[in-house]
Amino acid sequence: MLPTEFLASEPVLVMDHVAKSFGGVRALVDASLTLYPGEVHALLGENGAGKSTLLKTLAGVHRADSGSITLEGIPFIQGGTRDSIEQGVAVIYQEPSLFPDLTLAENVFIGRQLTAGGLVDWLAMARRSLALFERLGVTLDPHSKARGISIADQQIVEIAKALSTDARVIVMDEPTAALSSKEVERLFTVVRNLREQGSAVVFVSHRLDEVFALCDRMTVMRDGSTVGRAMISDTSEPEVVKMMVGREVSELFPKLEPKIGDVVLEVKNLSLAGQFADISFDVRAGEIFALAGLVGSGRSEVIRAVFGIDSYDSGSVILEGKTLPKGKPSVSMERGIALVPEDRRQQGLFMASSIARNVAVTLLKKLSSGLLVRRADEENTARRWAGTLQVKFADIADPVEKLSGGNQQKIVLSKWLATEPRVLIVDEPTRGIDVGTKAEVHKLLSQKAQQGMAIIMVSSELPEVLGMADRVFVMREGKHQGTLDRAEADPERIITLATGGVVSV
Amino acid sequence: MMRRVNFSWDKGVALFLILAVVLGSLLSDNFANVSNLSFVLRDVTEFAIIALAMTFLIISGEIDLSVASTLNLSSASLGFLYRAGLPFEMAIVGGLLVGLTCGLFNGYLVTKLGLPSLAVTIATLALYRGLSYALLGNKPVNELPEFWISIGYGRIPGTFIPWSTILLVVLAGVAWFILHNTRYGRWTFAIGINKEAAQFSGIPVQRTKLMLFAMTGLMSGVAGVVYTLRFASASPDGAVGYELSIIAAVLFGGVSIAGGVGTLWGVLAAVLSLGVIRSALQLAGFTANSLLIVSGSLLLISVIAPKITEGLRTRANAGSKVHNKKTNREVENE
Amino acid sequence: MNALRNLVKARELPVFLALVLVVGIAGIANPGFISATGARDILLGVAIVAILAVGQTFVIVMRHIDLSVGSLIGFTSFLIGDLYSQGYGLWGGLAAALGVGMLVGGINGFLVAYLRLPSLVVTLGGLYVVRGIFNDYAFGRTITAAMVPPEVAWIGLNRLGGIPVLFLIGLVLVIVSGFIMRRVRAARDLYAIGSNPAAAELAGIPVARRVFTAFVINGSIAGLAGAVMLGRFNAANANSGLALELVVIAACVVGGVTIAGGSGSVWGAFLGAILLQAITRAIGALGIPQFWQQAFNGALIILAIAFDKYLSTRVKTTTIMGSDDA
Repeated sequence: MLPTEFLASEPVLVMDHVAKSFGGVRALVDASLTLYPGEVHALLGENGAGKSTLLKTLAGVHRADSGSITLEGIPFIQGGTRDSIEQGVAVIYQEPSLFPDLTLAENVFIGRQLTAGGLVDWLAMARRSLALFERLGVTLDPHSKARGISIADQQIVEIAKALSTDARVIVMDEPTAALSSKEVERLFTVVRNLREQGSAVVFVSHRLDEVFALCDRMTVMRDGSTVGRAMISDTSEPEVVKMMVGREVSELFPKLEPKIGDVVLEVKNLSLAGQFADISFDVRAGEIFALAGLVGSGRSEVIRAVFGIDSYDSGSVILEGKTLPKGKPSVSMERGIALVPEDRRQQGLFMASSIARNVAVTLLKKLSSGLLVRRADEENTARRWAGTLQVKFADIADPVEKLSGGNQQKIVLSKWLATEPRVLIVDEPTRGIDVGTKAEVHKLLSQKAQQGMAIIMVSSELPEVLGMADRVFVMREGKHQGTLDRAEADPERIITLATGGVVSV
Repeated sequence: MMRRVNFSWDKGVALFLILAVVLGSLLSDNFANVSNLSFVLRDVTEFAIIALAMTFLIISGEIDLSVASTLNLSSASLGFLYRAGLPFEMAIVGGLLVGLTCGLFNGYLVTKLGLPSLAVTIATLALYRGLSYALLGNKPVNELPEFWISIGYGRIPGTFIPWSTILLVVLAGVAWFILHNTRYGRWTFAIGINKEAAQFSGIPVQRTKLMLFAMTGLMSGVAGVVYTLRFASASPDGAVGYELSIIAAVLFGGVSIAGGVGTLWGVLAAVLSLGVIRSALQLAGFTANSLLIVSGSLLLISVIAPKITEGLRTRANAGSKVHNKKTNREVENE
Repeated sequence: MNALRNLVKARELPVFLALVLVVGIAGIANPGFISATGARDILLGVAIVAILAVGQTFVIVMRHIDLSVGSLIGFTSFLIGDLYSQGYGLWGGLAAALGVGMLVGGINGFLVAYLRLPSLVVTLGGLYVVRGIFNDYAFGRTITAAMVPPEVAWIGLNRLGGIPVLFLIGLVLVIVSGFIMRRVRAARDLYAIGSNPAAAELAGIPVARRVFTAFVINGSIAGLAGAVMLGRFNAANANSGLALELVVIAACVVGGVTIAGGSGSVWGAFLGAILLQAITRAIGALGIPQFWQQAFNGALIILAIAFDKYLSTRVKTTTIMGSDDA
């Protein structure tokens, strides 16, 4: 039941039974979305549900195959990005894409620079964008270049851009993913302001706590179709999750009895200016050690420094008693550390290369007789691991881009498990994976731990952390807030620590 | 790590080579005999030697425009050292070391200082050539030992095979082996396909790139020695513009300018093709300029053709596309 | 105040300072260097490269490159003289030069903008093809002084207010181009395209159209500049313009027009060309043998690129700690 203020006004956007296919893949089957002015509307769904495709259709990147889109009562022209912008649709993508070499003012007015007498009017742009920034409650210098400003500030510039186009619909795609808690608060204030001024905001997020704090209504998508709509006030988190997943949330694979041994990895007082400070922890064989915290708390930066992708300013990393040289991933790998990175497409895989080559890339020395790489062994090793992890594929020579997200993640795991590491670091191991594969990955990690591997897991998903970890190391804004044993760890304690509070145990 | 379209690219170049030979025979009676073949082989040797290393470099995602200048500086160093009184063998070693140093310097600028290879090697192109001038002024070194000149120019007694071709074959064999059958070759491809993922996979990216630049410099040095012996002269204005032909050959041979793709066979076939075409055109009475047009056209074809085949392929199976940063195509994968 | 601060932070400032430094050092060692004649020599020698560098800037800021300009300008300089000597007059020659420039620029632009081919490779091919066609067209002939249109010879020989006309042409070009790059909306798009190509598409900028146009403009400038080259040397042959493109790109890079695209200005490119030329002359004035000139140029470009990289990395980076505002 919609409250009266909504019933009174006309919807500003109606997307009705939209369908879109790419070749044989049906990204959207029957998607619908209705927006009213002056609301913040949550668009929910698992990865692959079609949210992104729907929004890109609105943004003009794709054209729908069928279905109708009306904006303020008028049929929406699906011509391209320029048309969408001109009709009043502004999309702020998860990674804001500003132009680093241009000034903030020019970024706000890009493609539509203000003119006086046909020529670009720099003063007017600076003045207007300054006014917009002030309206959004931030202090930014319109003359400074966009290069180097924080993601949070980039988002503000994007919002200013949206406002300057008199956008009727503002879409925010996972805006809080890379923000600190203070920045999230600032963003919420801005969004609430937008709502009061009558804009319609679409808010896409996986963080249900934020959705429930900020949004008025929601639309849930699953497998390309809209499966549910509700007022936020009329529903609850478990109900929403059920709509998203389509079934009761199954139990994570019950954790195996841990056999915890000696300390394998010691991280001592690790610091990197601007990223993290004075981080120390030990990890033991057979242990699953979780790094928890909000996105942007510095956990990925810490493990990147431990593995050697990034260097660090001070402190040390000691593996089995020997200090690791900093900034040398090849050495870390040889000594027995493995890192399954956060971004599997960009960091974990060579998308255009075959499955075999992807699995073998970390094993080349072992698979060589002298200098010669034994090709047959490359393929057999890949087949073996793919079998063990139950990867679904057609041909071992197929490029990995053909696999689904879950199977791709299994390949990344294969390539690292095959190196038989002493310490396995996994960064968001089940992000963007279907529920079934998720359970398989958890089972695998548990098994490896039981076999004596030390596992460091960075995860932003509380259920995963609670289900898997023997100890939880909570970080916030680059600093260690507290460590909880498995027995002590519960959602309230973790979130309290992650947001800067203090807990008693 | 080869995509299917480039596997047939190799066959295409091989076919082209055959066609070029056929065309050459048709255009002139003097073409299809062993003496001319010998001439062609000698003609392409320096190009081919450098192309071997350039293949690795471009596959890894970098480029080196200074190779001709490095060749020349090595040649000039060789002449300079010999004129200064060093035994010729030592002078050769000196020339090779100079080439290696030039490559290392390029590599240092790119890996340690993080400068873009295109811009930097344009600069070292000028720097190295300039050093050649500084070394020799306008006095080329023309008095070189008979023995060595005869190796540079001559053939194995009783055959049509030039000595320099033996060198080329050996180097080509080594290069082929490394690129396609060792982990160093795999690393090269990986770095070109996705530098970040390569780093995350424990591949020593910076060290590998430095080595590739060093190798390119060394091969340019080898080519410089061969060049000097062939022309029996070390002068500061030799081999001007060679780098463009080398790059044209590498790209025509199926190596993608974006990195990550290519085979050594294709490059060798491409280099031979260019040599064959040059010879055919010369014998048929065309000016050397026609070769320029041909090289340029081949270069253009070598980039246009993959686009056409890729366009046809994606139309056939649209769906999951790869996000290729270098061509900035959209991801369509949800 | 703001304007002054921006001036100090400008990318072009180091180039200008370097120029002052070079002129200063050379002038102290050899007063003839900073005489009127010395200055004139520099300005005369720089005109061609400066003009081409201005045109090249349009292309480089988009993160592209045009290597065919050397062949192009050589060809058109020959063409103008050739057509004049065959009775087509000055305007016939100029029209042909412009036409050829637009055609080559158009082909380059089409291949890069619409077929999305890498500009390095396309214009490299263009360099070859144009030079080849040029060689065939020229076929061992030369353009002699008698074949040069009098107007063209005039601009090559004369001065206005003490400054060589050739240089003034370049100066007018850079003033006009500078204005366009700063105040015309479509020109600002070029910077956006170079700064973040993917975002440019999403922002609704007609990328292909802009890229195409920029190549056509550059081609046209290079084509017409054939007149300047002909005026400068009063002669032309099949080797005209050889290897010129590398000097042009060097001038741009030295002048702060980064190869990575998105930043730099035509003024910077112009200054870069002057700086390179000044160094060339300075080397002579300091008594260093001419033979070192090219080496110096090379070393200088490396320094410029390294300095440019240093400047771009010295920015406030995103931090996790302490980046919140109060």
